[in-house]
Formats: sequence, C-alpha cells, structure tokens
Amino acid sequence: MRCQNLVCGLVLLLALGTSTVVQATKPEDTAATRAQGQVLFERTCLFCHGATGQGDGPAGWFLGRYASPRPRNFTAGSFKFRSTPSGDLPTDQDLFRTITKGIPGYMPSFASLSEAARWQIVAYVKSFYPGFRTETPVPLPLVGAPTPQLAESLDRGRALYTSFECHTCHGTEGRGDGPVTQAGELKDASGLQIQAADLTRPSSFKNGASLPDLVRTLLTGLDGTPMPSYAARLSDRETDAWDLAQYLRALSAESVP
Amino acid sequence: MLYRTSTLLVATSILVVIALSSLVMPNQAQAIPAFARKYDVQCTACHTAPPVLNTFGQRFLENGYQLPGTEDGGTTGKKKLGDVTLDDVGKYLAFRLVGNAVRSWSFTQQNPAGTDTGVAQNKTELTFPENFTLFAGGTVMKNVGFMVELGHDVEGGGAEVERGFVSFNNLGAQDLAHVRIGKFDPSAFYSVVTIRQQLNEVKESLSSGCNTAYTPCSFNRVGLAPSAFATKFYGLYDRGGTPLSPFASSLYNSGGEIGLDVHGRPFGKAWLYQVGVVNGANEPFGDSNKGKDLYAMLRYDYAQSDYFSATLSGFVYHGNSNAKVQTQEDVNWHRYGVSGRATYQMLDLYAAYAVDRINHVPSGVSGAFDATATGLTIGADAYVTNETLLSLRYDNLDAGGILEQRKSATFIGLQAKQYLRTNVAIFVRNDVNVRKSEGGEAAARNLRNAFFAGIDIIF
Ligand code: HEC
Ligand code: HEC
Repeated sequence: MRCQNLVCGLVLLLALGTSTVVQATKPEDTAATRAQGQVLFERTCLFCHGATGQGDGPAGWFLGRYASPRPRNFTAGSFKFRSTPSGDLPTDQDLFRTITKGIPGYMPSFASLSEAARWQIVAYVKSFYPGFRTETPVPLPLVGAPTPQLAESLDRGRALYTSFECHTCHGTEGRGDGPVTQAGELKDASGLQIQAADLTRPSSFKNGASLPDLVRTLLTGLDGTPMPSYAARLSDRETDAWDLAQYLRALSAESVP
Repeated sequence: MLYRTSTLLVATSILVVIALSSLVMPNQAQAIPAFARKYDVQCTACHTAPPVLNTFGQRFLENGYQLPGTEDGGTTGKKKLGDVTLDDVGKYLAFRLVGNAVRSWSFTQQNPAGTDTGVAQNKTELTFPENFTLFAGGTVMKNVGFMVELGHDVEGGGAEVERGFVSFNNLGAQDLAHVRIGKFDPSAFYSVVTIRQQLNEVKESLSSGCNTAYTPCSFNRVGLAPSAFATKFYGLYDRGGTPLSPFASSLYNSGGEIGLDVHGRPFGKAWLYQVGVVNGANEPFGDSNKGKDLYAMLRYDYAQSDYFSATLSGFVYHGNSNAKVQTQEDVNWHRYGVSGRATYQMLDLYAAYAVDRINHVPSGVSGAFDATATGLTIGADAYVTNETLLSLRYDNLDAGGILEQRKSATFIGLQAKQYLRTNVAIFVRNDVNVRKSEGGEAAARNLRNAFFAGIDIIF
C-alpha cells in the first residue's frame, strides 16, 4: 500500500497528536486476546517473569542475584512505573510503555513485537492480578510546564532537592551515594537490598529521563522501592515539580536528548 | 630475551593497574559487551555467569541473536546497516581477555624419560594473557544473524577464526528451523556447552619430536578439559597426520567445525531438535574428505517458574573416515552422549557422559587398540555472594586407543572467581589428580597438582 508523502505525514501527525489513533490497534480485552497474549508471554517473558507471573522465571534469579531487582511479580499488584498515584495500579498505557521501552539494565525493549502483540500481552499480564478487573486506574494530571528562566528554575530546584532531603539517598551530587544508601539500609518490598539511582546517569533511569518523565516519577514515586511519591508536597506550586526535574537534568554528566 | 622480559613487565603492570583501578572505581559504571550494550541490559539477563547462558540467553542464541519469540533482527537497538556510526560499533564488537597470570604445576619429572624419575618438581610460569578473543556478532537483518570470533592463543601463537558463521532463522514458521552455516560449535544447544565453561580448558604439553606425521607422541603433562567432550583415544591422527590430543574437545563437542546445522522446536516448547553435517574432526581445508560426519541431538527442557530450570539431552555423532591410526588407515569414530543440567537460584548443576567408539579397528593396530572410551564430567557453579562464584568440576576419562600409551585420568578442579566489576573477575583455581598415587609412568599420573591465578575481562 503506497501513499503520497503528504497523506502519510498527516496520518503520522494525527497519531502523535491524539491517543485515539494509537488505541485503534488496541484489541478488546477478551478471553481470545488474553489467550493470544499468553502464547506470546510464554515464548518471551516467561523466562524472567515465570509461567505463573510471580517473577520467578527460570532465568529470573540471576539478574539481581541476591539484590534488587527481581523480575516483577504480577500477582502482587504493585507496579513501579505508573502515571497513577502511589498505591494504584498502572494504566494499560503505562504497561504498554514499559514493554515497549524496556527497563534499562534489566529488561530489553520489546518494540520489535507488533503493537497488537504488545497490547495482547498487556491484557494477559493484567489477568494475573484480579484487581485489574475491578479498578479503573486514573493518571495524575501533569500540570504546569517548565519555566523558561532556566537559571532561576535551577536555583529553586536545587533548594527543593535539599529541603526534600533527596541527598540522604541520592547524595549531594546525585551520584546515588547518600548516607542512607551507603549504610546499606535501603530495601525493596521483598526485602532485597536496593541502590538509590545515580542521578548523573539519566540513561539508566527506568521510568524515562525526559522532563515529563521525571515529573511523573516525582509525583508517583516508584512503588515497592524506597523512592517515595512527592505528589502531596509538590501540589502547592505547579512549577516546583518542573524546577526539580530541571535540576535533575542539570546533575547529569551525560548529554540528554 | 630482553624483549621477553619487557613484555612480561608490561603485561604484569597492565594487570596490576586494571586490578587496582577496578578496586578503586565504584561498581556502578557497567561496561558490558555487544549484546548487553545493544539491548541495554546487564550480562546476567542472558548469563548465569558469563560465558554460561541461562534459559533466556539460550533462547536468544537459538533465535539467531534475536530476543526470544521475536524477529527483531531488523529493528531493536539498531540502525540500518550503512549508517552505522562509531557508537553503534560497540553493539557488534566485544572482546574477552582471559588468562592465568600464574600457572603452577607440581609434577613428578618424567621427561625426558629416564632422568630423575620420581622426583617431585614444581614449576611456575607467568603467562598472562593466554587468550584474547575478539567477537563480532549480531543481526544484519530480520532473521539473519552472524558471529565471528577471532582468537589469539598466546601459547600456541597466531590468530585464528575460532568460529565464524551465518544463521538464517525462523525458516518456514517461528521456531520451525534455524540454520547455521560456517564454522560453529555443534554443541551450542546441548545441555552442557563446550565453549561455555567456568573452568577454562588447559592444553596438554607434548614432549618434543611430535611434529613428524604419524609418529607416536608422548605427553609431558596432561590437558585439563571436560572428559565427556574429549577425544579420549591415544594414538589417533587427523587426516594430515597430526596427532589428536586425547584431552581436546572434539566431534559434536568440538569448539569449531565447518558445516551446516539445523535446530528448532516444532514439537512444542519443551523439545528442541538439532541435526547437522560437518567436514569431520579436525578436517583441514584442501584435504580430500572421504565423507561427512553426521549428528542429531534431542533435548528436553523444563522451564516454568520457582527460579528453576532443567534440561536433558542426548546425541548421536556418526563419524565417516574422520581420523586415522598410526598405520595411516582410516577409522570411523563415533560418539554417543547424554547430558543434563539444572539451575535453581544461585546453583547451577550439570553432568555429561559420552561413549566414543571406533568401528572396525584397522588390521594394522588390531589387538593393540582399545576401540571404546568413555568420559564423565560432573560440575557445579554457585554464587555464594553477589560477587563470588565458586565452581567445582569432576572429570573421569576412561581412555581408549593404543593400549601401550593410553592411560585413564581423574581430576577434580575447584575455582573461586571474584567479580571486581560486572565485566572484570579475578580467579584462583586448583586441580588435583585423584589417581596420582596409582603407579604407571605416564603424564596422567605424574601431574599431581595444578594451580592457576588469573583474570577474566569481557568488554
Ligand atoms: C531478562 C528478563 C526479563 C524479560 C525477558 C522480561 N522482563 Fe519484565 N521485568 C524484568 C525485571 C527485572 C523487572 C523489574 C525491574 C525493576 O523492578 O527495576 C521487570 C518488570 C516488568 C514490569 C513491571 C513494570 C512496573 O511498572 O513495575 C512489567 C509490566 C514487565 N516487566 C512486563 C514484561 C513483559 C510483558 C515481558 C515480555 C514481553 C517481559 N517483561 C520480559 C525482567 C524481564
Ligand atoms: C529513601 C530514599 C530515597 C529518597 C529520599 C529519594 N529517593 Fe529517589 N530513588 C530511591 C531509590 C531506591 C531509587 C531506585 C529505584 C529503583 O531502581 O527501582 C530512586 C530512584 C530515583 C530516580 C530514578 C527513577 C528512574 O526512572 O529510574 C530519580 C530521578 C529520583 N530517585 C529522584 C529523587 C528525588 C528528586 C528525590 C527527592 C525529591 C528522591 N529521589 C528522593 C530512593 C530515594
């Protein structure tokens, strides 16, 4: 099927601009969809996440060995990478994003699977936890926008980094070497030792490193880890989350896109 | 001589610098080889402990360096060939530098025969780096993969293509047939893989005067390698007249044979088949092969949950004029093997057993030649901490071949490996000869103990 450049360009713009077009390839969450998802899951995800979705696949132990993370246990209903408030389930879009982008260091990107295939897997992954049938996760709104005055924004971000005591875990320079981390006191929900992220290496961020990604991480927290949600404390001023995000980007030793 | 000493000095200082800098540098910077870079995951996504693969890594290999269940050769982490930038090169290239900085042999002096018989000797040599391997591998497009491994063996000298092949994957239907063509390791999909061992293969040392074709050749020191994979026969020669080492991995378990093989899982996820045809053991180019060697392997996998996996496999390898005896007569040398492996959390257990048979012993050596030999290898690797890997291996070789020369051997090797960083490990290893007290003036008895200390870097 050929198309003229202009028409293709328009379709692409629409696809980027609205979510409805993306949803078009999303199949209905039926038994048939889940069954197709299961076939794909057992060929691809089982080795890490296990046949029963408990995160205990035959290759699952070796990734973190005695430390965090282990592959996610889908039957526990706790997820790290969400657009929803702490304690809530992720949206379908959240799960789809994780599968598509992968998790730096721990899970490869599965962008090579067709979009339909990835949605089928999402449906199957959700079937491991009954809560997905009864709850309707709602994303937190991303309010505000980054301030154009970068210097002021960075100053405010730096102040917030100190007053929110991010440095206790992440270190003054953001190297992931704060006193709490160095004391080896940080544990994940399953009791395994976990490291605070090295904020100077945004390419290792599991939840994305763009400004909106960082704001999302700060608002939602990473459930099941010591990284808390700052939604309550950041709600006073819309720009605070963006200032902090700007500052995090400035900590980076890498050039970020 | 001066040159030698200075190389040694340079090598040692490099070693010291690497070891020290690894200790000082924080553990966070993870420099990891090509595939890990390409997919942005740790080595342990695919390896229990490099180079040994976990179930996910095995399926990645089976699928021709594509994620299991996908045909991502055309997409993931890749640009079109033709606009590959310097950044991308790291996604195709990797190297491994492994070697014993120190090897220490304790043996009863035997050679030259007759001198100082029975006197215990100790010999220590500095050898780093023993082996340097350059890998280039990946996919060129959807369902077409490749791998080239250039190895430089410092002791043997010279560089050589250890493996170099192209793979065509998912032919007909997903997982129906994957084809490899080139120089590959036939045992890549076996439960215990020749080129994926924690205890590196240590070559034997031959006594001098072994370079005339078809002349009997004796050993100063035995080689240390998995007995189930070894040649097992004394007094066999390749078609060019070079003696085959009874200790070297061969036939189905060879590290590299030229040919074509097919594998797949058409009978459900649990069963893997493999069939292949190769030129034959140590067949050099240009020699008129009399026939081709054929093999078939079947493997059963249990891989579900509970951090547990188990596999069982068996193969038949049918040789066709693939070796000669001293009288320059051809033999058909076959092998039948079974192996199993189980992993549970930090523990990796494996065993392999093989029977080698030579059909119709040529009249020239009949009566003086044992046509059957067996090898047993049992081992375990275990992470005792996040950075410490202990490995144990037991090898028993019931050797065959020329009755006068053949000598069975039993060794136990123990290794402790400490990861300084994800890609840098130092190790110490000790192998003891279980049968050293048994009599018999032979290399298999004389070597009493071997100690190694070395470093393993993968980049
Ligand atoms: C190489 C092992 C591996 C494979 C293969 C793998 N995963 Fe994961 N996955 C992980 C690990 C490890 C984590 C947890 C990472 C962390 O907590 O930082 C994870 C986490 C997840 C999460 C949780 C994200 C969250 O918000 O908490 C989802 C969903 C997920 N994987 C889905 C999949 C699907 C679907 C597949 C197959 C298409 C798959 N994974 C294949 C290792 C793997
Ligand atoms: C109690 C300790 C703790 C505190 C306080 C804390 N963090 Fe974290 N943070 C963590 C841990 C642990 C992780 C790693 C989670 C993981 O790898 O799953 C993390 C991860 C992150 C990440 C990376 C997320 C990703 O996508 O991988 C960012 C960014 C971050 N924290 C920023 C902050 C900021 C900004 C603050 C202060 C407002 C803060 N953290 C406070 C423990 C903490």
